[in-house]
Amino acid sequence: MSIFSSVSPNSMPNRVLPVLGLLALALVWLLELGVIQPNRIVPGTGHGLWSAVGGAGAGLVSLILAGCVVLSLLPVRRRYLPLLALVGLSLALLPLLLEVFAGRHLPEDAPYARSSIGAGFWCLLFLLSLMLIEILGRLGSGRGLQLLILAVISGSWLWFLRSDGLESLSLVREFNARPDKFEQAFWTHMALAFGAVGISACLAFLLALKMIRSVVWRRPILGAVSFLQTIPSLAVFGLLIAPLSALAAAFPALQAIGIRGIGWAPALLALVAYSLLPMVRNTFVALTEVPESLADAGRGMGMNERQLFFKLKLPLALPVMVEGVRITTIQAIGLTAVAALIGAGGFGSFIFQGLGQAAMDLVLLGALPTIALALLADALLTMLAAILKPTPATA
Amino acid sequence: MIELKNVTRRFGDAVAVDRINLTVESGEVCVLVGSSGCGKSTTLRMINQLLPHSEGEILVDGKDVTAMNPEQLRLNMGYVIQGTGLFPHWTVARNIAMVPQLLKWPRERIDERVHELLTLLDLDPATHANKYPQQLSGGQAQRVGVARALAANPNILLMDEPFGALDAITRENLQLEMLRIQSQLRKTTVFVTHDIDEALRLATRIAVMDRGRIIQHDTPENILRRPASDFVENLVGKQDRGLKLMSLRTVRDLMQSYPQPRQPEPGADGLKEADSLRVALSIMLWQNWNQVPVFNADGEETGTITRERIIREGA
Repeated sequence: MSIFSSVSPNSMPNRVLPVLGLLALALVWLLELGVIQPNRIVPGTGHGLWSAVGGAGAGLVSLILAGCVVLSLLPVRRRYLPLLALVGLSLALLPLLLEVFAGRHLPEDAPYARSSIGAGFWCLLFLLSLMLIEILGRLGSGRGLQLLILAVISGSWLWFLRSDGLESLSLVREFNARPDKFEQAFWTHMALAFGAVGISACLAFLLALKMIRSVVWRRPILGAVSFLQTIPSLAVFGLLIAPLSALAAAFPALQAIGIRGIGWAPALLALVAYSLLPMVRNTFVALTEVPESLADAGRGMGMNERQLFFKLKLPLALPVMVEGVRITTIQAIGLTAVAALIGAGGFGSFIFQGLGQAAMDLVLLGALPTIALALLADALLTMLAAILKPTPATA
Repeated sequence: MIELKNVTRRFGDAVAVDRINLTVESGEVCVLVGSSGCGKSTTLRMINQLLPHSEGEILVDGKDVTAMNPEQLRLNMGYVIQGTGLFPHWTVARNIAMVPQLLKWPRERIDERVHELLTLLDLDPATHANKYPQQLSGGQAQRVGVARALAANPNILLMDEPFGALDAITRENLQLEMLRIQSQLRKTTVFVTHDIDEALRLATRIAVMDRGRIIQHDTPENILRRPASDFVENLVGKQDRGLKLMSLRTVRDLMQSYPQPRQPEPGADGLKEADSLRVALSIMLWQNWNQVPVFNADGEETGTITRERIIREGA
């Protein structure tokens, strides 16, 4: 036993963490940590690590990163827990760097001056996140711990972003200028993305059932949903304007519930069309791949077709179907941002507004929550699929 | 009782089962044996109507199966298939409880029955009830498959090459287990196999099938002694027929019994009453014994058996 544990992977020097740590150390010194702008449009002046947070701050950041590198190289078995604490805490307290930076450099008498996040900070955030993922993987941690860490880090970020110290941050300024619109955009985005996923999930289920029942329909249905997937998304949004306008003009009742050539109706239709392929394919494959010998056994024991479906086929197919929902949800959250082009609203509207005004921070205000939503949906649905997985991992 | 009268099954133009007549009496084990594609599985699957028959009549306890609701029909027949067909997302206990649950038995009665069946099949309920099928060995999984078939205490048991995928030792263990269970429960059983030794061991009567027809339907002994055709003769094996006949009979048949069972001398070697004559002869040849004591299941010495008698009258 002792022979095995001395060469177990957890006591070997880690190769991923030192590389990530050293890269972070190099980039945080080479790139600008933050930028001070006199107002919203004028390009600002960048500050490196030393200048941004002072000698003490720069020293602390370097020390933590160097500490991670050294710790991960040590051939000690129980080093992943301290590493987890170190990296997790760094991630949670990362906004503190921006707060110190704003406090040191923001001119007192300039109400329009703002601080914004530099490339160095983004790199630090990204590399620390990668390190966290690597450490969690090595620890083989359960879902509970992962969720807890995620909650602690995002909670800490929210707390920092709402506090006074980061009020000068351009992202916060953009948000503070339009909190109502942000909330509205959030709900619109959610409603569009998840509405589309919900509708297409139901449709896909029915289509997959049809495909299973009659072989004749298999090729046409798969062909149609594949074809829908090949049209460029912008083109679908555009192409739907004319027919929907005509429809709305012909039936005023439709207009009354908000169906027009632009707005949520064409966006939802396009999103549903895009979501169909992964859902139909996964549902069909999952349901047809249930071994015939199991169905035979069930039938031979006296199950009717309805019982076979609900007790055998559906439970075995569910994880694969949820996988389809996961892919579709991530795709739909991203596509909903594009749907802002035809006036559907959502976070995409900030992105396109920001692009129009050359205000990158406004673009970020749209892009960051979209990314966060997608990552969150991905994590939750992956977990759901793992929970639904019918059989234990140990064979 | 199961009766097949002039039953035919066609797949398109191909005739899989050709006007067969077969009667399986209550409590007997009828083994359908033959090479693959001879129609034996098709015959079995027509009895529980997983395959409807094209022509003829199938009666179960005197009632025509086509007149019954197929689900009701199957709920009263245990069904065991090769590769177990256990549901991978259900625990062993839930798999066994499948039919009682379909029959809406109360919870406590189901739990009690599952416990009883696991014990009957020599599986410890405490360690096995909550395992998943893929955590079991092949032999354990097939025991669970048999337990599932017996769960609602059906009168009829249909077994489609249940031990076909198991290794020789596990298969033999399960065959012995089945003989033991059958001697307690006396289910009307139809058993499909391509293994003639398995058929000879388990069957009350064997139906030899070839190209959709029943060539011979008789007891194992008659199949061995009087094969109806060259096909049957080849199937049972011409050369070791004598030994096969010996394996049908037990030491009990040819032993010289004492008037009273005796307490054996400590450490005495011997044979058991339930050993087959084939095993007995093999042991006696190997140990170079001419006469040995015979013990009953309780370990008492009940008589003796001689090598000459086995050789003279065994086959």
